[in-house]
Amino acid sequence: MSQDPYELLGVQRNATQREIQSAFRKAAKKLHPDLNPGDKEAEAKFKEISAAYELLSDEEKRHRFDRGEIDMTGAEQASRSFYRDYASASSPGDPYHNAGGFADFGDADDIFASFFSRRGSAGFGSAGRDRHFVMEIDFLDAITGTTTQVKLPDGPPLDIRIPPGTRDGQTLRLRGKGSSGYGSGPAGDALIDIKVRPHRFFIRDGDDIRLELPVTLAEAVLGGKVRVPTPSGPVNVALPPNSSSGKVLRLKGKGVPKRNGTAGDVYVTLKIVLPDQPDEQLTDFMRGWTPGSTQNPRRDMEV
Amino acid sequence: MDDREFCLHLKIEVAELDFWIEQGWLSPASLKGQRRFRDIDLARATLIFDLTRRMGVNEAGIDIVMDLVDQLYGMRRTMRDLISIINQEDAAVQQRLLAALDKLYDS
Repeated sequence: MSQDPYELLGVQRNATQREIQSAFRKAAKKLHPDLNPGDKEAEAKFKEISAAYELLSDEEKRHRFDRGEIDMTGAEQASRSFYRDYASASSPGDPYHNAGGFADFGDADDIFASFFSRRGSAGFGSAGRDRHFVMEIDFLDAITGTTTQVKLPDGPPLDIRIPPGTRDGQTLRLRGKGSSGYGSGPAGDALIDIKVRPHRFFIRDGDDIRLELPVTLAEAVLGGKVRVPTPSGPVNVALPPNSSSGKVLRLKGKGVPKRNGTAGDVYVTLKIVLPDQPDEQLTDFMRGWTPGSTQNPRRDMEV
Repeated sequence: MDDREFCLHLKIEVAELDFWIEQGWLSPASLKGQRRFRDIDLARATLIFDLTRRMGVNEAGIDIVMDLVDQLYGMRRTMRDLISIINQEDAAVQQRLLAALDKLYDS
């Protein structure tokens, strides 16, 4: 391959990464062999634009190409197989065969048509029905993930893996744990709606966790180390001196684990808490503290 | 191949693989309680990877795409089987079917 990657993707030489990405996506939709199984040319063309995208989406490779140090050969893809090569072959036990496209062909008096609509479920029989369940789990279990055993109304207990970062309202699908199939059809699935119980002080906000952290007046004025709870255990945080109530600290990566291996953040909102009982020393100090009566924090409210 | 080899091939984390399987996008075989991935699973996972990573399709999009892909291949396969069976029939039968189709499309 010695073509010009810019030409292959149809972009200008000074195209931004966004333009390159969108050009690739547009072309990939038309050319991905698995999405265009009838197009014989698709595979070769898709490999070309993939190689071009691979090169141009990597700024360093792109610069080296622009300077003439490398050509498209460097970006050639390792050989790969496409799904269409497998999915098009006629093999009876294919786990992904779906005869849904024929589902409305199966009139009772039309043997030929109903033959196709039944073929999907591995022989003559049809899949069992899905069964729905609701399960409540603890806030922290939903975040860190866990395995739990549930007893379904009938049948043996099931081990259910709660993946890290599970959201309230998410549905877990357990393949083949629904009602048994008819004839030789496969069993349906168990669908489990997850309800996450709220936490005493953590509040989930997407992949982030928010919490209000009470601090003493002394900690707020002087700053220093404070212990802060996070879903993965407490951490020491350096509080800057002169921190007001409402100040927000961000603990990066201490939030909800994401599927790509990173995690959201924890946002800590400070809340200054005065001593439980009025303190004479503090009261006396405040009386004698001049700036206390000159500062007006409500200035912006025009009162 | 096993989990590790499969993830290495695709350059994805096991957590992501677990998610794909939970969503029903992939269904590997199982051998003695361990997941076993066939060549068809790898080719299918490569398609899912292309869609999520390179073409920007989101979770809901993958659900729809994979379902339609399965229906499309199911129909293609059945159509191919049907054609190959017709091809084994007598020339007279083939002609008759063709004529019937012609009539269907002409009207």
